[in-house]
Amino acid sequence: MMNKKIYYIFLAFGLVFLNACTDDFAELNTNPNQISSESLKQNKNHIGAYFPTMIEPLIGDQIEHNLTNDSFVRHLATPTPFVGGVNNTTYVPTWNNPYMNNMYNKVMAPARQVIQIAEADGETMFVQWAKLLQVTAMSRVSAIHGPIIYSNYGTTGDVAYDSEPELYNNFFSDLDVIVSTFSADTSYTQFKNFDAIYSGSIPHWIKYANSLRLQLAMRLVNVDPALAKTQAEKAINDPGGLIDENSENFNLYLYGGIYKEARICFSWNDTRMSATMESILGGYDDPRVSKYFAPVADASLVSDHPDFPYKGIRNGAQLLAKDTRIVMSTISEDFKNVTHRRFFDAAEVHFMLAEANLRGWSTPLSAQDHYKTGVNLSFEYWGVSGADAYLADNSKTPLDYDDTTVAGPINDFTSRITATVAWDEAGSNEEKLEKIMTQKWIAAYGNTIEAWVDHRRTGYPKLPYNYQNSSKADTGIIPADGFIKRMLFNQNERTNNPSGYAGAVQALGGEDLVSTRLYWDIEGPNF
Amino acid sequence: MKQKISKNVFLSLFLLFGGLLFAQKSVSGTITDDAGVPLPGATIVVVETNLGTTTDFDGNYSITVDEGQTLAISFVGYATQNIQVGASSTYDISLESSNALDEIVVTALGIKRSEKTLTYASQTIKSDKLVQARDVSFANSLTGRVAGVEIQKSSSGAGGSTRIVLRGNKSLSGDSQPLIVIDGIPIVNNRSGQPGTWGGADGGDGLSQINPDDIESVNILKGANASILYGSQGANGVILITTKSGEEGETKVTINSGITFENYIKLPELQFTYGASGLQNSWDSTPGNYNSTFVEDFFQTGVNYVNSVSISGGGKRTKAYFSYYNTTSSGIMENFKYQKNNISFKQSTKLLNDKVTITSNILLTDENTNNRAPAGYYLNPLTALYMHPRERDFNDFKNYEFLGDNGVMQQNFPFNYHFLSNPYWIMNNQPSEDSIKRAISSLNISYAITDKLSFQARASFDFANKENEQRHAAYSNPTNVSPEGRWDYEKYTDELFYTDAILNYSENITEDLTVNAVIGASLQRTTFGDGVSVSTGNPGLFYANEFNFQNVHTSNQIQSTLRSRVEKQALFGNFVFGYKNAIFLDVSGRNDYASTLALTGNESYFYPSYGLSLVLSELVTLPDAISFAKLRVSSASVGNEVPFNKVNPQNSVTAAGNVSRNTQKPFTDLKPEMIETTEFGLDLRFFNNRIGIDVAVYDITSTDQFLRLSAPAGSGYTTYFVNAGEIRNTGVEISLTGDIVEKPNFSWSSIVNLTQNQNEIVEIHPDLNNLSTGAGEGFGSRLVAGGSIGDFYVSRFDRDAQGRIRMSANGEPLKLNDTASPENLAGNAQPDFSLGWSNNFTFGDRLSAGFIINGRFGGKVFSKTEQMLNGSGTSLRSAIDRDRGGVPINGVDPDGNPVTTADPAIWYSNNGIGDRNGISEPYVYDRTNIRLSQLSISYNINTASLGLPLDAASLSLIGNNLLYSAEAPFDPELAMNTGASLFGLDNFNLPSTRTIGMNLRLTF
Repeated sequence: MMNKKIYYIFLAFGLVFLNACTDDFAELNTNPNQISSESLKQNKNHIGAYFPTMIEPLIGDQIEHNLTNDSFVRHLATPTPFVGGVNNTTYVPTWNNPYMNNMYNKVMAPARQVIQIAEADGETMFVQWAKLLQVTAMSRVSAIHGPIIYSNYGTTGDVAYDSEPELYNNFFSDLDVIVSTFSADTSYTQFKNFDAIYSGSIPHWIKYANSLRLQLAMRLVNVDPALAKTQAEKAINDPGGLIDENSENFNLYLYGGIYKEARICFSWNDTRMSATMESILGGYDDPRVSKYFAPVADASLVSDHPDFPYKGIRNGAQLLAKDTRIVMSTISEDFKNVTHRRFFDAAEVHFMLAEANLRGWSTPLSAQDHYKTGVNLSFEYWGVSGADAYLADNSKTPLDYDDTTVAGPINDFTSRITATVAWDEAGSNEEKLEKIMTQKWIAAYGNTIEAWVDHRRTGYPKLPYNYQNSSKADTGIIPADGFIKRMLFNQNERTNNPSGYAGAVQALGGEDLVSTRLYWDIEGPNF
Repeated sequence: MKQKISKNVFLSLFLLFGGLLFAQKSVSGTITDDAGVPLPGATIVVVETNLGTTTDFDGNYSITVDEGQTLAISFVGYATQNIQVGASSTYDISLESSNALDEIVVTALGIKRSEKTLTYASQTIKSDKLVQARDVSFANSLTGRVAGVEIQKSSSGAGGSTRIVLRGNKSLSGDSQPLIVIDGIPIVNNRSGQPGTWGGADGGDGLSQINPDDIESVNILKGANASILYGSQGANGVILITTKSGEEGETKVTINSGITFENYIKLPELQFTYGASGLQNSWDSTPGNYNSTFVEDFFQTGVNYVNSVSISGGGKRTKAYFSYYNTTSSGIMENFKYQKNNISFKQSTKLLNDKVTITSNILLTDENTNNRAPAGYYLNPLTALYMHPRERDFNDFKNYEFLGDNGVMQQNFPFNYHFLSNPYWIMNNQPSEDSIKRAISSLNISYAITDKLSFQARASFDFANKENEQRHAAYSNPTNVSPEGRWDYEKYTDELFYTDAILNYSENITEDLTVNAVIGASLQRTTFGDGVSVSTGNPGLFYANEFNFQNVHTSNQIQSTLRSRVEKQALFGNFVFGYKNAIFLDVSGRNDYASTLALTGNESYFYPSYGLSLVLSELVTLPDAISFAKLRVSSASVGNEVPFNKVNPQNSVTAAGNVSRNTQKPFTDLKPEMIETTEFGLDLRFFNNRIGIDVAVYDITSTDQFLRLSAPAGSGYTTYFVNAGEIRNTGVEISLTGDIVEKPNFSWSSIVNLTQNQNEIVEIHPDLNNLSTGAGEGFGSRLVAGGSIGDFYVSRFDRDAQGRIRMSANGEPLKLNDTASPENLAGNAQPDFSLGWSNNFTFGDRLSAGFIINGRFGGKVFSKTEQMLNGSGTSLRSAIDRDRGGVPINGVDPDGNPVTTADPAIWYSNNGIGDRNGISEPYVYDRTNIRLSQLSISYNINTASLGLPLDAASLSLIGNNLLYSAEAPFDPELAMNTGASLFGLDNFNLPSTRTIGMNLRLTF
């Protein structure tokens, strides 16, 4: 009797152990709040569902863009003296590779896996779509750093970088496969669920791929004119065509997120209109200004031009306290509510075609007509009128800049631009190119990586120099009348991938400094 | 001799009853010393069942036992006696103050063993010492009482977490925290969030939720050889807590009521003579007359109340213990509030002719903390307090809000800067609240099958419901908070289910050879962080200042969370062979089955330990002065755990409903980390055990470290894991005990604990030269082969061959900022050695006193606070240098001319040595410090003569952390982060505090 009770007690405990086996260990060691590749096989999600998260990060945030290329091309300027005013914007690489890291971590790494999965399932269209995103991301990273890891990506051990000549050839040959694969199946519809850009329309993706080819070709016009011409004409003549109208623009969907510059501007008070935008838009009386920026509230800030109530901050200004300049023009409040942003547009294509025509390559229209179409498309995109009058103006030139928050010449500059808007067919190619590039620069607002490429390779627009230049020998000296040329390689690579890093520096053809020119950035005239 | 007699008694009994029949009965008696003086608190344990009792104040005991079973009677400083229970029901025992000191100690799994059989170091702290000073964070009371233990308290105030490391950091990626065990069963000791350079606040830990008054004793198992029966989770050592039980006899009620007052010890040295002329930084060059007390006025005197009551009692079969404990703490910063309520109930009942004992224990905790002090730059009231521009009236900030035109309360603050906010706004309009409701319940059934064989089964469930919330009002600092406000909320449960079954067998194989065998099996399942969380971004909330899920903007993701879910099963065994009660061989083994290693083929892993203990004083004749001598040696290898869901992680759904591809490289050959340890020990006692010395020397080698590496950009993955690296800890622990004076009217006993540990990272990973474990601006913790855990690096001056600082043409010092370079090593945050000296005195019958002095020697710490204060021109030294017209320096300009003074405004700027990015070398300080950690003076009131209806009453004056002396401008023993990163960093930490107060203890 007594023993029986004891047995019952221990039987109860024993049951706990009977239950115990290690069969469910694998399941236990998974996180139920993650989604398995198996579950995603429904609706091709195991391939397609990753595309939005590879597209969304293509545009960077504050340190990637706003304090890097946005500042280098003088579109937006910060009122904040970050790191005591010694940072990227004053030519000391402080935030060096965040965009590169994002592109590798959020595009290259998942795309590589997605390509493997898609290849295994025979989904060649998805393979090429992922490749197209890789080319997009890496061509932007290379524009910042030069040689990068591309064709050897995903190999083990020390990974070799592609030199820029290799890289562009790889981009072009990848684009060949992408375009031919897409062109062979233009009625394919399976991208639709995952494509917030073109709703799965293959013909539109072909136009984007061709336009990207044209963009990469234009980078090479000075360093390898023959290859540039071949590739540009290939893009122009492809039956799939280029992004020709605003309805064909690659507009990046924000996936419910905020327009990043709106948060940087309105929540953090860390970005404002640039002095250069004030100078150029004000000087040309450009109606797009009201779409780009908001007027200042305090009229005393615009005492130098009361009729044009916008005031910007000089890039590379001497900034002592942040509060001084946050009163200057913000970006337009409209940006708080936008759902898309331009990533690659028809205006840019037409400005590229205008330049191609100047170089004697075959283009659909004349240089002048492409130039005018580019301006018209930009006006149309922003919903402003008056393009004809604007294009006809042959007298207005950019304004000189006065920092009205400080007395004296601090941060002031005299505009170096003497070009007007009106096309002058009798002008020299250099003069024509300056007009094209200046208008391309205005139209590129919000999209500054390529504008930085254009400025480095052509020298246009004639942007003001930094007022404060803190560049130093260990990261590269930028002369007072010069501009930053690149950002450094990822410095972790010195230890993590030493032979790859050494090869990259060799391919760069100079020291790993911000003053070293990239492959396509050649001194001298454009023609 | 006695042993032999009992042996014979046993044999005759065996013959009589043929080992078949044993009658259960109650025996009682009195335990006295050899002079006949009753010994209160002596332990009587039934060897076969591990059940026991203690004697009352008059040395009386009563225990239920089977005939033929053995009673082990022990008392500190006396030889343990074993008595075979025969027909008699009264056993009066007199214990001999003996050479062979032999205390029963609690070891792994709650198994009680005689100390001399132990082959490893073990140190016990009794409850009276633990609660002597009534520290609100009681874990801190262990500091200095045990050799080989490093304890650092969080700077966040009462209820904060504690970093405890036994014998050095053993893991490159894990945090080397020991396992916490209550009555043999593991409990959860999860540390919540920790601040970093940029901000955040400590979130407390599991140990702080226990009622210290429930603790009978704490035993520290320092090495893996001692804790092997807990398997991988005991690899970093174990803190064994034994809780109080009901005692047979009259109901005893104990009441403790204490109040202590808390004040800061030291603030940074600040200047109040130079203003900012309306700017943010106080860099005026002409002095003014400004308020110099606003910083000290900002802090208040904190009041801590600790009240507890416990009731204990029981009959022969059933005993019960009940307690209630309440703490409130107001802290030195307004709005801080810490409240904790504990209820515990423990009962044990004997059933079925006393062969079966059922013990149940329930510990309930309700803990609430409001506004834990943050550290780091962001949303920290101390940044704007210390850096307040001197010419402004700080009192204006007390009106921290005003109603804006839009009907929303707005912040009254003149600057727009990412880490400055109105301190009162943060405290009032960005309140945080952490609350924990926790229940630890356990059931233990033991069954004495025969006199030699017993069986025990246990189950325990530790369940905590945790809620952490911070509500940031609209118009908080826009860097962190979106215009409508921000809501950080998480609610989750932490669970631990544990069960085991153990068979215990002991046998005298021959007259000289004994064996004690324990075999068992256990199962443990933990589920941590199972809940929901949201942290709103920008856009954040639909409507301003409403904090609930309905109002969370759709662009934010409300997340289901699961931090970890792990099941571990184990089979284990421990065999102790004794020869002539003088030589003991201990062999243990455990096989773990871990779910975190599923799919790797390594989920089952075995490790053994071996140990030998030689009681020399029993084996050879030693000089009279030596009363006890024991040599011990042991060696063990244990697997260290790997984290959850690392083998094959999956993909995550993003806020926009897309899928983010996992880019961690799958790790299908993951292995457990291995820790191999060898220990030698010598325990010597002199002059009838009045003086004792215990020395332990150990070598711990950790290999197969589980490392998360960020994959090189070209590899195709973003992160990957490896088993690599080797860490070696070698150390010496010396514990000196002495009853220095033993007079009837005065006694003085003293314990000195010395800890010395040397940590070396032998290698990390072939592909990797260093591993960052946390970095701030100009500061980085980094693991490098050849270095040690705790190494940190700073930016330093560029000096010429003569040691002169190179200056730029603008008068700025040149900086060498490559914090990965070996030359930039500032030092190691761990001390070279530590000393703890605890003392207890009695003066006559009624007055007693105790104090502890702790010293840490060597090691480096770093103060970002000082650097920031220099940059903002608010440090005292920035004013002194302005007063004398320059900073005296030993510099050299680009042309090679000496520079002897620098302009303070440049020298202390961001381009000099101040602010966020200045040269950080000058802010490295020696960690060495000596402090009076505890002081207590108690008076036992003569209740009888006062005619009070009390058994005992005592009044104590107590003080914690009273004084310290250190070179560093902050308390180097307070940790900003109690995790395994950012060692030794001060970045606007709350200043160290001292508490002074009193406690009244009543027993009736």
